[in-house]
Amino acid sequence: MEQLIEQLKSQIIEALNFEDLTPADIETDAPLFGEGLGLDSIDALELIMLMDREYGIKLADPKQGKQIFRSVRTMAEYIQEHRTK
Amino acid sequence: MRIAITGIGIVSAIGNNCAETLQSLLEQRSGIGPMRYLHSVHTEYPVGEVQLSNDELRQRLNLGDEPLPRTSLLGIMAAREAIAMAQAPCDTLISGTTVGGMDLTEQHWQDYKQGKSVATIPLHEAGASTRAIMRHLHSPLGELEGSCYTPSTACSSALNAIMLGCDMLRTGQAKRAIVGGAESLSRFHFNGFRTLMIMDQQPCRPFDANRNGLNLGEGAGYLVIESENDALARGAKILGYIGGYANACDAFHQTASSPEGEGAYLAMKGALDMAGLLPSDIDYINAHGTATPNNDVSESASVTRLLGVCKLPAVSSTKAFTGHTTSASGGIEAAICVLAMNNSFIPANLHWTQSAEGLITPVTQTLHQPVHHILCNAFGFGGNDSSLLLSDHPIDLTEATLSSLSPLRGKSEGGCEVSAAYLRRLSPQMRQLVGVAKQALQDAGIERPDAIVCATRWGCMQQSIRFLQDMIATNEQELKPTPFIQSTHNTIASLMAILTHNHGYNATYSQGKQSLACALMDIRCQMALGRIRSALVLEFDEQVETWDEVLSLIGEQTCNIARAHVYIKNE
Repeated sequence: MEQLIEQLKSQIIEALNFEDLTPADIETDAPLFGEGLGLDSIDALELIMLMDREYGIKLADPKQGKQIFRSVRTMAEYIQEHRTK
Repeated sequence: MRIAITGIGIVSAIGNNCAETLQSLLEQRSGIGPMRYLHSVHTEYPVGEVQLSNDELRQRLNLGDEPLPRTSLLGIMAAREAIAMAQAPCDTLISGTTVGGMDLTEQHWQDYKQGKSVATIPLHEAGASTRAIMRHLHSPLGELEGSCYTPSTACSSALNAIMLGCDMLRTGQAKRAIVGGAESLSRFHFNGFRTLMIMDQQPCRPFDANRNGLNLGEGAGYLVIESENDALARGAKILGYIGGYANACDAFHQTASSPEGEGAYLAMKGALDMAGLLPSDIDYINAHGTATPNNDVSESASVTRLLGVCKLPAVSSTKAFTGHTTSASGGIEAAICVLAMNNSFIPANLHWTQSAEGLITPVTQTLHQPVHHILCNAFGFGGNDSSLLLSDHPIDLTEATLSSLSPLRGKSEGGCEVSAAYLRRLSPQMRQLVGVAKQALQDAGIERPDAIVCATRWGCMQQSIRFLQDMIATNEQELKPTPFIQSTHNTIASLMAILTHNHGYNATYSQGKQSLACALMDIRCQMALGRIRSALVLEFDEQVETWDEVLSLIGEQTCNIARAHVYIKNE
């Protein structure tokens, strides 16, 4: 799980162009949207793409993302349970 | 001055001319169906296509084999109809588009690598598709000569074209103008909207509780406008009047509308105020109504706020007929409003079945009743919100004379540091311009200019080319939304509005080397008419290696331009 979390942080930094951040700057339990990293709806779409590309998880409805993308931890938990690759 | 409408022309999925369009509207016949002409692999999405192939369009229009984007073919068809109806030549063409010649670029991208099909390369420029329309407006009634303008503010482009035309009439810069927009479907923006996950696989249902996104459409729509005096003097039939208009920026987010619809509210309020009318005077609102979850909630909130205690007038979105025709939508829907006014009916909002809290309830069947005053909305990416007031009564608008304009404190090319979370998505050249613009405003001592207008020849090419290459390389499979969102010409002007919390006027022009001249014409008119006192004018272009390789085939190249000028009205 910890390994997945670290990997996910790197993937988020790359997918969302956070050039100035390192994985250590992202708190595992901090909210991704609003406060914390301050992500928005475009980032949510990028995260949906990331889940598909890296883990073979397809979300048909962007609204599902709300629960899954609460924090890096919730995202990792969802991936662990649903990944197909 | 009273601005009279003396001609209209429409082509869309529900008809190739005004007569066919009227019939489809009255019979409630939607044009949305399976893909026929757009060669995308994602055939699961229905679209609103004009039911003519490019070859059939050429034949009908009696055009030779000169390469022309579909945007221009559709534009020529609708513009010729409008001019024929007005029975008089025009001196100015203002036609909004964003797609421009993208259909040719995506079709020939691989050919370019082998040095083939190079004649289509210059047509990638949005302004070139408008110039092509202008070249082919020959009619027995006269040839259009003179100036052409291409506003490119995404889905509000055509309404902004109509607004500039009105301003140019009121300041004596045009005598009779043909104004509106044209846009063909392209795999580029079809896939772009797909990555945004806002396209419905069913026919769209604007304002319905269970709406699930938009259907893309295509087409062109124009109005011929001139002063009432000129129209009466030549015995022209007057189809209606333009009584007011306004553009405002939501300044909230690049693609999403604010929950309260601030920009939309300001645009509708501005249009009503210019006309001296009250919300209770409105008989019909032709809503933007894309059927995305976000737009319809935001637009409903803005309409409710505009009305206050007044009763909701008839509202419908005609996008369930035509699909969302993006940059052409303002032209097509304004022309539909003129049809409604002249034939005393209100078009239905098709496919609506269920209301929900926070959503206005539209008209679900064609209503046969007199229609005197109409608000027509068009909202675009970057929160670019426009509203037009059409009326069957003449409405007096002020006139003014243009004065000369010189930039305050010259040009700023330096640039200051700007840090904002969303800047991480921009290309280096776009970031550069944001810094330069911020510096120019600081130098001028202006925090929030009344208008932000950008001039760009090619638009945001780095992101456009990235999306295009990914689309071709992965056969439309692996695409990211970010480059698509950043690919529209008006990305920078709208980002500057977000950055300066600016709800003022916002526009972008793409007209080759004339882009800056177009932008300056716009702000000079508005300053003369007293709508703005200060303006930030941006110049942008960016060098992209792969695009330069293509351009070298025709002996051209791009260069990096990031300049900002601040203008203040001379008293």
